[in-house]
Amino acid sequence: MIDELSVIGKRVSRWGAYDRVTGAAKYTVDIKLPRMLVGKVLTSPYPHARIIKIDKSKAEKLPGVEAVITFEDIPKKLFTPNRHDLILYHPENERKDMYVISEKARFVGDRVAAVAAVDAATAQKALELIEVKYEVLPAVLDPIEAMKPGAPRIHDFAPNNISLHLNFPGSRGDVEKGFGEADCVIEETFRTSKQHISQLEPCACAASFGPDGRLTIWSPGQSAFLQRRKVAELFDMPEGMIKWITPHVGGSFGKSGALSVEPICVALTKKTGKPVKIEYSREEDFRGTETRQTYVATGKIGVKKDGTITALQEKLIVDGGAYFSRNSTTSMASMGGFTGLYRCPNVAAEADCVYTNILTTGGIRGYGNSEGTCVLEQLVDKAAKEIGMDPIQLRLRNIKKAGDPDNKGLPMETCTLEELIKVGAEKIGWAEKRARKKQNGTKKYGIGMAIMMDVSGAHPSCIQHRNAYIKFNEDGSANLVVTAYDMGQNLPGACAQIAAEVLGIRYEDIHILNGDTDSTMFDTGIGASAGLYQVGQAVMKAAQEARRQLLERAGKRLRLAPEELEVRDRRIYVKSDPQRGISVAEVTRQATYNLEGEHLNIFGKGSFSPTQSPPPFATVFAEVEVDTETGEVRVQKILYVNDSGRVINPATVEGQIEGGIAQSVGYCLTEDYVINRETGVLESDNFTTYKIPSALDVPETEVILYEEPVPSGPFGAKGVGHGTTIAVNPAIANAIYDAVGVFITDMPATPEKIFEALRRR
Amino acid sequence: MKKEVAYFKVNGRSYEVILTPETTLSELLREHLDLTGTKRACGVGECGSCTVLVDGIPTLACSTLAIAVRGKEVLTIEGLAKGTQLHPLQQAFIDSGAIQCGFCTSGMIMMAKALLDKNPNPSRQEVKEGLGGNLCRCTGYVKIIDAVMAAAEAMGKGADR
Repeated sequence: MIDELSVIGKRVSRWGAYDRVTGAAKYTVDIKLPRMLVGKVLTSPYPHARIIKIDKSKAEKLPGVEAVITFEDIPKKLFTPNRHDLILYHPENERKDMYVISEKARFVGDRVAAVAAVDAATAQKALELIEVKYEVLPAVLDPIEAMKPGAPRIHDFAPNNISLHLNFPGSRGDVEKGFGEADCVIEETFRTSKQHISQLEPCACAASFGPDGRLTIWSPGQSAFLQRRKVAELFDMPEGMIKWITPHVGGSFGKSGALSVEPICVALTKKTGKPVKIEYSREEDFRGTETRQTYVATGKIGVKKDGTITALQEKLIVDGGAYFSRNSTTSMASMGGFTGLYRCPNVAAEADCVYTNILTTGGIRGYGNSEGTCVLEQLVDKAAKEIGMDPIQLRLRNIKKAGDPDNKGLPMETCTLEELIKVGAEKIGWAEKRARKKQNGTKKYGIGMAIMMDVSGAHPSCIQHRNAYIKFNEDGSANLVVTAYDMGQNLPGACAQIAAEVLGIRYEDIHILNGDTDSTMFDTGIGASAGLYQVGQAVMKAAQEARRQLLERAGKRLRLAPEELEVRDRRIYVKSDPQRGISVAEVTRQATYNLEGEHLNIFGKGSFSPTQSPPPFATVFAEVEVDTETGEVRVQKILYVNDSGRVINPATVEGQIEGGIAQSVGYCLTEDYVINRETGVLESDNFTTYKIPSALDVPETEVILYEEPVPSGPFGAKGVGHGTTIAVNPAIANAIYDAVGVFITDMPATPEKIFEALRRR
Repeated sequence: MKKEVAYFKVNGRSYEVILTPETTLSELLREHLDLTGTKRACGVGECGSCTVLVDGIPTLACSTLAIAVRGKEVLTIEGLAKGTQLHPLQQAFIDSGAIQCGFCTSGMIMMAKALLDKNPNPSRQEVKEGLGGNLCRCTGYVKIIDAVMAAAEAMGKGADR
């Protein structure tokens, strides 16, 4: 490999850009098939109710209605919409507790029936004609209440509504001894925010059976092969009889890793014999798709006067909502984040996952680590204040280094946290700003920071494997066939850059086929920033194999050994005599149409299964201004110093970070998923009441890409997007703490809460 | 409700459509004319994804009745490029890395076009305010604002509008 890279590290235009700026890109909501019906779902208005009787006769008689289905019409199989039970090394921590349509309503929004009709208006009318007789049961909307004896039981198998108790397997040392050695022990209980994903494309699915009995599903699924297996098992079909197409995806942030309306859509298609599409309204999306867990997190930290952390302990009560879904893995990640960021000999954590009669939670960008790290990083700042130490100095005292175990216990190839802190502190002017006079009339200024360590995939928890193949066209361009879902993070583009670099052709010479289970090889699903690190390796291997064949073929033409040749910018040349060479296109064309001898299609396949999950790192600085008269917080600036290894495309990496910052600002300050505590009804079910940041709400943002290539990554790259919502929240909370001394334990930090906290002092 | 025949002009082309009076402009575009580039993310006028231009005025297609735009010029994202020649805003969105999932992109670009048509040299703050009603969940808006500024500059230099 030559030293200078020609495609890697360049700001090439993202994959699919032309389709997306011209309106040509087709998303699931855009799928339109002949004779296609509209599917709609009837949901429970009660948080907890037994379904006594459903009379669907009136709905069925409405002209234009082709099917009405209830619990009676679906496979009687309990399942989990989450994919992890299929790939976890310890699947015993998963729970199959859900039917495609519920036999009992467990939250407002639980699915109790569905219809398929010729158009949306008829389907809507049909929903209104379905008569459901409920026996309303006492509901429990709070996890602490749910655990008490005598609380209403939501699932028969779970006494006290505890679905799972987890003792964190990474606990080590003796925390009691550690707290005994500390000069300062801080304990705080936090309630984390039930942030909603709010991807812009509403939840949707289309499905259709072909005349041969094969089923095609269009869905934004980001783990289509595993989701396909789940559908296959539910409907007693072999996997090969299902073709799953993932069209363009209008945002995911974790949502599409689990099944959503797909099984209902399939049931309706099966019943009617016609294609069916379900597209949620925004209100339905808010009421029926995933949110973060609410953790009632009690965190405890012990530090010595010199800043050494002696013990860390976390106890979680996890409000998972009405069904289990991804409770175990998010809780594990949360405890991993809390216990794994710093060197500390004594750590312990445990979690109780609890059912409540509210919307099921899922796995959102940051996946538990956002919450675990936020609790830890706020405690660190409080401890620093108690012992009178600069929070940066306290962090540097306990920082991990290369070779130390990461947050999953695997030894780290690189660790740049110390460098990132120093680069960021210098850039923002930490020492000067931290010492600055805080008051400006009624406005108080504050600055805070936080660090984070994330993952590049789910190793070693899950089986992960990736596959790709590359075939050269006659003209010297190449097709890359790979499962590289693009939920906005431009994984296909990064894969194309890797392939082009290895093959010695241009970025625009790579044509990608993606998101079609009939054509792409098996894949365990994208998530946890696995894409670039893992799929990128499979692409690299496929490209290396294709390159080997290309050079071998060229060598025969030039009567030289392949090792004597190099390929770059569409041209193969002799290393010792660069003027002598042949174009890639000439070799590929001759390989295909060789009238004199061997003809072949130059083709490379690559597979990859990780043995590591190198953590991306970040240090984030936040500057805020708090209005002491109104409690309003304005984030003035976020500085994000990032190490995700080698940067394949700086524009993509910056974009991931800038988006993560905006989501975090929403999480911290405005995104409030309000459930009425009497009725269980969601009150923030639109973009007016659930406020995601607009262009006017995002702070000034500066991103520094600190690149330390990781030896095991493709060209040294690690994951990016997942971790971008981890360190911003605690940095903002710490800045508020610096500004007005209010310690945030309950996000979002709305003006009401800050004002109240200021008033009480 | 009774269906009727209505005539529309979209992207310079005339259409004759049979529809009910309560059909929205976004339904007309997406379901009747298969112009699915106009996206519907909220359906109630809160997110700007469905922004199109009606006689040059930015309009939320989800909250506008189709019959209200009869006889008017409707411009959607599909009508912005001239053949294969992208509009400077489209090119700038690509070059600035302003697109992630792309679901807000059509509405953003149409809104930005209306903004630049009115104010060819906006400040960053004016762009922020102009796009304040268009939500994006992916980008954090930084590169979208970069793109609009870049397009304004390109158009000032005589790039084809």
